[in-house]
Amino acid sequence: MIKFLLKGILRDRSRSLLPIIITALGVGLTVLLSGYLKGAFGDIVDQNARFDTGHVKVMTQAYAENKDQIPNDLALLDASEWLDTLHTEIPEMQWIERIKFGGLIDVPDKNGNTRAQGPTTGMALDLFSGKSGENKRMNIEASLVTGTIPKHSGEAIIGHDFAEKLNLKLGDEITFFGSTMNGSMTFKTFNISGTIRFGTSAMDKGALIVDITDAQLMLDMNDATGEILGYLKSGVYDQTEVNTIATIFNSKHKLSTDEFSPEMLTLREQNNLASLLDYADVMSALFIFVFVLAMSIVLWNTGLLGGLRRYQEFGIRLALGEAKVQIYWSMVLEAVLIGVIGSILGTIIGPGITYYMQVVGIDISSYLENSSMIMPSVLRAKVMPNLFYIGFIPGVLAMVFGTMLAGIGIYKRETANLFKELEV
Amino acid sequence: MENHIISLKNITKRFKVGEGEFTALKDINLEFKKGEFAGLVGPSGSGKTTLLNIIGSLDSPTEGQALVMGNDISKLSHKESAQLRNHHIGFIFQVYNLLPVYTVYENVEFALLLQNYTKTERKKMVMEALEWVGLTDMADKKPDKISGGEGQRVAIARAMVKRPEILIADEPTANLDAENAHIILKMMKKLNKELNTTFLFSTHDEKVMKYLNRMVSLRDGSVEKDEIIAKEAYM
Repeated sequence: MIKFLLKGILRDRSRSLLPIIITALGVGLTVLLSGYLKGAFGDIVDQNARFDTGHVKVMTQAYAENKDQIPNDLALLDASEWLDTLHTEIPEMQWIERIKFGGLIDVPDKNGNTRAQGPTTGMALDLFSGKSGENKRMNIEASLVTGTIPKHSGEAIIGHDFAEKLNLKLGDEITFFGSTMNGSMTFKTFNISGTIRFGTSAMDKGALIVDITDAQLMLDMNDATGEILGYLKSGVYDQTEVNTIATIFNSKHKLSTDEFSPEMLTLREQNNLASLLDYADVMSALFIFVFVLAMSIVLWNTGLLGGLRRYQEFGIRLALGEAKVQIYWSMVLEAVLIGVIGSILGTIIGPGITYYMQVVGIDISSYLENSSMIMPSVLRAKVMPNLFYIGFIPGVLAMVFGTMLAGIGIYKRETANLFKELEV
Repeated sequence: MENHIISLKNITKRFKVGEGEFTALKDINLEFKKGEFAGLVGPSGSGKTTLLNIIGSLDSPTEGQALVMGNDISKLSHKESAQLRNHHIGFIFQVYNLLPVYTVYENVEFALLLQNYTKTERKKMVMEALEWVGLTDMADKKPDKISGGEGQRVAIARAMVKRPEILIADEPTANLDAENAHIILKMMKKLNKELNTTFLFSTHDEKVMKYLNRMVSLRDGSVEKDEIIAKEAYM
């Protein structure tokens, strides 16, 4: 019977073409939206993890409370001791120190007078030890527009656009003016070793990257650090795992009586990422729900029209001795076949377009010019294994659900009228 | 008791019309033996189709008892009625009603798909049925590529392929010219003899009446005349 139904589907285009097109488009659209949401939100999470939050971050409670102000006066002291503790207690993570700082960059002319000035947001990373993995994690080498990574003390990388604005060239000297962790004024001269563009407006805007030893010296933060970031060695963020780690750490080291005791925050607990991630999940589920509902309504109508067109066929089948329930389930079986064909097509089309969106993406940099959010300037979709089934099941379900609704009409058919109906 | 394949006792059928009722059949008492070639004749509205509906288990009587192959039609569920039609009753309609997307072979085969025959068995039965109606060379053609007469022959093959005990034909020649009508009727008569299938017609076509062995005349829902006609007159 399946072969017989399949022949009917393939030969009678009016029975199958429209539902297959609708299902394929719906599945393709669901796959694309899912891939785009996952890709865009995944990129946002990934960038936040790499540039700012880590998978977990350890700060003093006081620093954590005011971290938007980069309060280095509330930094974590005895950083090396804390690093040892973290390495011992939580060996499944890689731990690195970072210091953020703000200040002013002054560009002198050949006479030493100010030629240009601009505010900067600096980040100090472990660039020199070669063990931190920061180069790879921050994708620094690949993001360099000109020059090289700092190799010696006193070298710095500056945002490419920032450098152009200040009319800086490689090898030029700049002077950083800011305040130490104790509130005193500090200044330090750096040589520009390279210019960089991360593709993240919040990072590129006035960026200055130096080695952490230079920053500790410049900011008077000997054996102190603003933040200690932890990354799971698998490289993949796992909410359950980091929750457990953070809970254990906080129960042991976070003291309610000491605001300078350390606190560990997970990625979700920073930068409003929890709501962003929940939003992504809700939106993804909503898209699938709306797709199933909308497709079901459209396919219900298509099923009703098909039922009218096949009125004679169903009459014959009733007369030949097929029970109404058999006809109903054969319609459902047809719907499964059509749904599968449509979903297969949609599953081919969807990831195809998703891949295109992964390569090309949507440039939102103009909307992020004044944003302090760490998010990519180009939102890209992402082709993932789950895209190959995420639309498939709803595609088949929508077709089956629509047909089940439309097929109820068969039960209202009176066999007593068959002779009259089939005379036409 | 004789070998009655159909037994109708005091059959009355009423339909609701608005707030009133219309009596389509009044106290019908008829019996048909296996292998009969009988016709229900009468003008429109005389109750022919209603009676065929009841015999074909497409409808049930309001009063009385209709026994078809020993099954009381009034007591059958929808599924049991479908089973009865599936295994024991074939239908031929005024319009041959072939499924347009399937070939002649597949149209005939469809009747067998509802039963548990193997592919080999089905092929043998379908080709045999097409041979009965002389259409083996048309097996791969679609309904829109064959003539009206051929279409009705396919419909006969579809009805007969499962070798039903009863074949019900509602005005089977109404859409055919005289030549094709005679071809069809001769074919049915032959099958009636060879397979001993009971043929029941509803007709007011003189051509059909000439082939009948038995003619039941209905008027206003009642049996007006039930006569045995000279057998084999037109064979």
